[in-house]
Amino acid sequence: MSAVNLAFRSIAVRHETTLRSLAGTIVAVALTLGVIAAVLAGLGANPWSAARGLVSGALGNRFNIGQTVMIASLLILTGLAAAIPFSARLWNIGAEGQMYFGAFVVAGLGLTLPSDMSRWLLCSILVLASLVAGAVWALVPGVLKATINANEVIVSLMMTFIALEVADYGITALWPQPAAPQTRYLPVNATFPSIWTGTLVTAGAPLALAAVIVAWVVMRRSGLGFEIRAIGLNSRAAQMNGMRVGRVTIVAFAMGGAFAGLAGAINVLGMNNALVSGFSGNFGYLGIAVALLARLDPTWIIPSAVLFAILRVGSNGLQVQTGLSPDVGEIVVATFVILLLVFKVIRLRYAEAQSV
Amino acid sequence: MNVTVSVFSIGIALMVPILWAALGEVVVEQSGVINIGIEGVMLIGAFCSALGYRYLHGLTWGLLLGIGGGIVCGLVLSLLYVRLGTDQIVTGILFNVLALGFTSTLYTKYLGGGVVKTYGAVKIPLLGDIKYLGEILFQQNVLVYASFLAAPVVFYLVNNTWYGLYARAASEHPRAAETAGLNVWRLRYPAVIVGCTLSAVGGATLVLTTSGGFVNGLTEGRGFIALAVVVLARWNPFAVIAGCVLFGVAQALQFQIQNLGPLSHVPSDFVLMFPYVITIVAVVAARGSRYPAAIGIPYRPSSATAA
Repeated sequence: MSAVNLAFRSIAVRHETTLRSLAGTIVAVALTLGVIAAVLAGLGANPWSAARGLVSGALGNRFNIGQTVMIASLLILTGLAAAIPFSARLWNIGAEGQMYFGAFVVAGLGLTLPSDMSRWLLCSILVLASLVAGAVWALVPGVLKATINANEVIVSLMMTFIALEVADYGITALWPQPAAPQTRYLPVNATFPSIWTGTLVTAGAPLALAAVIVAWVVMRRSGLGFEIRAIGLNSRAAQMNGMRVGRVTIVAFAMGGAFAGLAGAINVLGMNNALVSGFSGNFGYLGIAVALLARLDPTWIIPSAVLFAILRVGSNGLQVQTGLSPDVGEIVVATFVILLLVFKVIRLRYAEAQSV
Repeated sequence: MNVTVSVFSIGIALMVPILWAALGEVVVEQSGVINIGIEGVMLIGAFCSALGYRYLHGLTWGLLLGIGGGIVCGLVLSLLYVRLGTDQIVTGILFNVLALGFTSTLYTKYLGGGVVKTYGAVKIPLLGDIKYLGEILFQQNVLVYASFLAAPVVFYLVNNTWYGLYARAASEHPRAAETAGLNVWRLRYPAVIVGCTLSAVGGATLVLTTSGGFVNGLTEGRGFIALAVVVLARWNPFAVIAGCVLFGVAQALQFQIQNLGPLSHVPSDFVLMFPYVITIVAVVAARGSRYPAAIGIPYRPSSATAA
């Protein structure tokens, strides 16, 4: 009887919170639209034509849809790069850098490995290399956090700035393309094949979906995922129960970094066919917003990333319509997520022990 | 001026934006709030000062508008961090994205290049004539001198005034502070606002002294470096100065590297990453340094819990 009662209560409670978060989402969306309309009007643009420009810029034709798909793939991966460590309450803010380092390694290997290998083999090697590269870059904050409790926010951010310089070294000194801010183009055998004619969609997109499946299995169906989430809820209690917090910290960072590194590979091998200076429009940082909107759930990261990709790609159309710079997209995204935080749609729990 | 003196002299000028930002962060963190949005605050301070210089014609107006931008940032962030109790790390990061979006959009529309005539060096009589030391420290611009004065003021505020001591109590054990009759929120609001204002002055300094203009993403992680300096200096404003000198000199190396013999063959990208590497080393070196116990945790007054 009491068990039934309990089950009923928990369903009721969940129902109530879902309703409340739904209401919160609607209010946040409405307020975001209001804020953005006010900003656009303040800048002398017509909000209505701006909205039309945004939607047609992202979804207006086959080509634009393809572009949205590819940006969504990158955001899915940087979203996972944030979500997995965040689940353990570890702040991996450095997906941007992990992505850049992955891109650097892939570009370097793609240009130096013999290109007469089969396309399958060469692409597999490069994808693997990007996973390792991203993981290595994330290991620095991960290991420092696990061993000496160094602030992972600062370390992962600094690694980002270092990665930017490393990538720039590759672009300007190691493999420069004359008269362009990018490396030489990779041989065709080292790039992802197109999978949708008439668009820029390549095999990178299904790779991102595969990554979601891997992340879902790890987080929801494996002991490691259970440990990661347990540490996130209460790391002291997890430790008391025999979980090796340090080891899980390092693994969570390495996994996050590997996904970010793969995003770098998709950009180099599946979008630009070269390492291009400043290729990331803050995709690493937007991944944080993607992960939060998805409440760190790997499956919800897909729609979340698609939404942010539409906003992002659509801002180019917005530029055409209103003459404003595409950076407006950043304002939209950040305002939206901050309001979601304010209305408690996105909630991060704190162990009570810490606040007493 | 020989090369070493010149590296240090440039280093002092380059460290000052970080110093202002770090002093602001000391004030914020000593009340129990961590402001990861410091990078965005600096960026907005820098943008506002460039705007003020361009449209109101004058360095003073630039500085004042930068300060105004900092106060607005402080009001918004204190509302989020303190009153609404959103997660401080996530809010701060999103604030940085927001600030980058805002300043880049407005830059294209209202600024688009444009150079600022920077504050010139003012030589302090007598002191400026001291060999080496005078050349390094006392032939700088007014914002450098002002930052040297700001450090002891912040030290006094945090360690010797009733406000500073109460705010620190709220950063270590807010529940106990409240039990003792203090209002934790009212202690944290001014800390966030004052701290953001100081950090925005750092951004303004960047535009009005060393860089002489605004470009998108001008701050290049200096706010995050300031975060690291604060931990390294253990929240002591005087130690913050010492930490900032380290980063200023690390940045100054890029301008003099060709004169530094064996270092002259190091590719410029590696010289540019030097300050960031040093930051990581500093974080490792500061490993005994402990954040205030309640930092980053939004506080809910017990009366609000009961209601």
